[in-house]
Amino acid sequence: MPADFVLTTCPYCGTGCNFFLQVVDGRVVGVVPCKTDETSGGSLCIKGYNAHAFVGHPDRLTEPMVRRGEQLAKASWDEALDRIVAEVKRISSEHGPDSVMVLASAKCTNEENYLFQKLARVAIGTNNVDHCARLCHASTVSGLLQSFGSGAMTNTIPEFENADCVLVTGSNTLEAHPLIGARILKAKEKCAKVIVVDPRETPLSRIATLSLCQTPGTDVAWVNGMINVIVSEELHDEEFVNGRTSGFDKLKEVVKKYTPDVVEETTGIPADDLVRAARMYAEADGAMIAYAMGITQHSNGTNLVRTLANLAMVTGNVGRECTGVNPLRGQCNVQGACDAGALPNLYPGYQSVEDADIKSKFEKAWGGELSGAKGMTLTCAFNKALTGEVKAMIVFGENPMLSDPDIGHVEAAIQKLDFLAVVDIFPTETAKLADVVLPAACYAEKDGTFTATDRAIRVVRRAVDPPGEARADWQIACELARRLGCQGFDFKSPAEVLAEIGAVAPLYGGIDRDRVDSEVVRWPCPSKNHAGTRVLHEGSFKMGRGAFAVVDHTPPAEEPSDDFPFVLTTGRNLFHFHTGTMTRRSAKLQRESPEPYVEINAEDAERLGIADGASVRVTSRRGAITVVARVTRWIDKGTIFIPFHYAEGAANRLTNNALDPIAQIPEFKVCAASLEHA
Amino acid sequence: MSEFSPNILAFCCNWCSYAGADLAGVNRLQMPTNVNVIRVMCSASVKPEYVIKALSQGIDGVLVLGCHIGDCHYLTGNHRTAKRIPLTAKVVEKVGIDPRRIRLDWVSAAEGEKFQQVVTEFVEDIKSIGPNPLREVVF
Amino acid sequence: MRTEHGNVAPVLLAKGDGPGELRADVPYQMAMILSRVYPHVPEGRIAVVARRCDEKAIAELSKRDIVDRDRIALIGLACTKEQVAECRCRDPCPETVDLGECSDPVVEDPVVEKVRSMPPEARLAFWTDQFRKCNKCYGCTVNCPVCFCDDCLLEDKTFTVEKGIPPGMAFHVIRSMHLADKCVECGECERSCPVDIPLLALRKMANDDMKELFGYTAGDADRKSPLLTTLEGDPIKEGDVDAC
Repeated sequence: MPADFVLTTCPYCGTGCNFFLQVVDGRVVGVVPCKTDETSGGSLCIKGYNAHAFVGHPDRLTEPMVRRGEQLAKASWDEALDRIVAEVKRISSEHGPDSVMVLASAKCTNEENYLFQKLARVAIGTNNVDHCARLCHASTVSGLLQSFGSGAMTNTIPEFENADCVLVTGSNTLEAHPLIGARILKAKEKCAKVIVVDPRETPLSRIATLSLCQTPGTDVAWVNGMINVIVSEELHDEEFVNGRTSGFDKLKEVVKKYTPDVVEETTGIPADDLVRAARMYAEADGAMIAYAMGITQHSNGTNLVRTLANLAMVTGNVGRECTGVNPLRGQCNVQGACDAGALPNLYPGYQSVEDADIKSKFEKAWGGELSGAKGMTLTCAFNKALTGEVKAMIVFGENPMLSDPDIGHVEAAIQKLDFLAVVDIFPTETAKLADVVLPAACYAEKDGTFTATDRAIRVVRRAVDPPGEARADWQIACELARRLGCQGFDFKSPAEVLAEIGAVAPLYGGIDRDRVDSEVVRWPCPSKNHAGTRVLHEGSFKMGRGAFAVVDHTPPAEEPSDDFPFVLTTGRNLFHFHTGTMTRRSAKLQRESPEPYVEINAEDAERLGIADGASVRVTSRRGAITVVARVTRWIDKGTIFIPFHYAEGAANRLTNNALDPIAQIPEFKVCAASLEHA
Repeated sequence: MSEFSPNILAFCCNWCSYAGADLAGVNRLQMPTNVNVIRVMCSASVKPEYVIKALSQGIDGVLVLGCHIGDCHYLTGNHRTAKRIPLTAKVVEKVGIDPRRIRLDWVSAAEGEKFQQVVTEFVEDIKSIGPNPLREVVF
Repeated sequence: MRTEHGNVAPVLLAKGDGPGELRADVPYQMAMILSRVYPHVPEGRIAVVARRCDEKAIAELSKRDIVDRDRIALIGLACTKEQVAECRCRDPCPETVDLGECSDPVVEDPVVEKVRSMPPEARLAFWTDQFRKCNKCYGCTVNCPVCFCDDCLLEDKTFTVEKGIPPGMAFHVIRSMHLADKCVECGECERSCPVDIPLLALRKMANDDMKELFGYTAGDADRKSPLLTTLEGDPIKEGDVDAC
């Protein structure tokens, strides 16, 4: 037919909206919302409406390329694949398999991420596999795992609409997760209390019932402060605390010193407002916490996540509908990439690589010997590349040259590698440095599944053919494994891969392609007749009793000084996604927000004599960039904000790669910077 | 508190009211100084979007002055104006903007006195209505 | 529409295609779907399952030569009572009813009444609060069956200069003005709005203004929009005016 409408899942944030791609003569020409979709309800955000725009872009990679001297030159698939295989074999035999790192991708499907980690673990023989969850919610996974026993969003997206209170922190929800933000607004129309705690006034905080502005990096203090108020006013849920948790006495002890006045001193949040927020949250029947990068991307990210879990448990807001601790994950399949085991310490389904029984189970399932040592994280791999311990990297659909902190450091690390292969849809900043570049299919050109932030498995359907010689990542991974001489990669379709995931990961036990085709299923779903799980930790926690964590406020790794007087924080805006490889090639999105900018408070700007629209130079201890000043009242004095989407003004030239000791997530959200006229 | 001094835009057609304003000036007719004149080639080129934008940004009043019907340099340009601007006033009223902040009138090149009279009246009207509340609204 | 993957999808069938499980109970705006499909179907006739609002939207499109009315066959669908109530629809019955039964129109729109009864300050405050929620998805334009400009004014920074979101007052009022002679009150803008801004009420009030000033209602197949004619009612010479 001249026009088909193919139902698929949005490739941007982790909300998991479904929509139809309109296909004409093998080209994707538009997006039509799906009115009956549970998540989107027939609405989309501007990125969703433009999700077709980059698919047929002339910049798409269409043929494999191999480095010949200074140049990347066209090559055949055979040549390119054989080059990767030869280099991996050589480096692995010379330096051991742990000198190879595989970067999986939160933009790829569950099936593909499963194959990436299987490729690393079975075909190469290393647990060195990681992906950009390390940079966003690694601290969520480790923090919630320790507190609750499961590292995922406890409740579902539709529940936001019916909550009595929503506490949003470190999330610019209306811009970064527009459809979730919209649900929070719907809740507010129904008289729910919405509390936003953020160093910037966001579009959501301006409408919120209560908006608190903390100094970046002081989050533990205000959360402990809220618990202090709740405990001292006896607003806590005694029954829940006694019946379902452990460690409350110690928590009580530690929060004692976080009185509202002390918290005001540390965070800048007025004591009265903190008390109001604590009461609002504690007195609600069902209170949900939503958070994102503003919590996780700190050098104490894991602890921060745990304090939020404390807050929820103290008030009994876990394990019921419209409650819970809800990390909003920022990429279409970052949840699924974690589920599928693209993590250096966990097999698919969050099973530890260091557990001998589990290891032997996977050895049996995969028919090969596995390494019992946990692998390297993404952030660690770049450090180890600099010291020469990591020699080769295979990067599937990631762009660390823009997304990782302290790009100068990343660039130096990449230059030191013996070998870099990049599989991507566009010539990214990282691909330009590669030895081999393979062209991949984008979301509209392949089949598979994404797992949304609320654990819902959403189907991705092929609407058009990949451009030129490009192939789907799952085919590339299988082909590489086969050429490395490995068995167990003869999949004919992603559906077969999903079946294998179900067989090895109990969380996905009841998931198969036919079932999720017409049904929204949320994991854990251990068997075919299991309905899936909307609310986690009902009745009891995954690990039995929920564990309170004793956490004290520690200052961020880098604080403002005389030379670098501003606190620089980074993030997204509404119109672009991540490193902009897709959105900046979408004409309408690019028109909305064409150039990099820095948000600066109007008073600071006046003091420095910087006018709106002026070109300014922002400097940190690691680098400097020149961007346009956006003078605004929506950011606190002393704080500046730069979105990290723009290669020509890359915020991550400035950011600090100080790491959280547990999750190894970098501190994107706080570093010291200075600002002057360019 | 100082007296409210309105901030007013007047779109004047090049072929009539702009010359009318000029004439008023040459004849040294006294009138308020709150008006910023914008010369346009025809009152029809004053798209409603400009009027709406001006009001949304806190301008207190918008005056659109064109040629008398029948005198349009482009024959029927002002016919469009005659329809669009009154509709614009009604539409803005529905979101709570006072429709009297928009005024349409016809002033020929010879009507220096009419220009003076229209401007004076409009400024007085706006003064009595008060400042545009959208000046203070922050989205 | 057809059931696909547990959802309801718009579908275009060729002669001889099996229809599958067709249904007409989900309010996709078929005129909007038609205008997306039409440019890709160079010849032949297209049959459209059309509600009253679709029918009127197609009339608006054909008056502006965006579709050729002779190439379109309408299958008239009468909305159910529930749908009419949900859309607060005051004109629910297509010219020919092929499917369903006509229901009574909703005469009074409570949102419109509420806004009309407010004093100006309250009205301004009401809409400011509503527009503050806008996160500029453009759903109201993308899904609008009578939004057809190639270059959308709202995307032009000349008119909505505010950075980021919300896009401010002008965005919504310009759109209101722009649709006054076209809007067929299908309510798709309001249904598509993720944050529930009562856009249909805004549209209805502008339509009422149009009627009051010029006695004109959009969707009239025989009459050109008064904004595109002289005071005497003659068409303004083509090229002098932009179609929108």
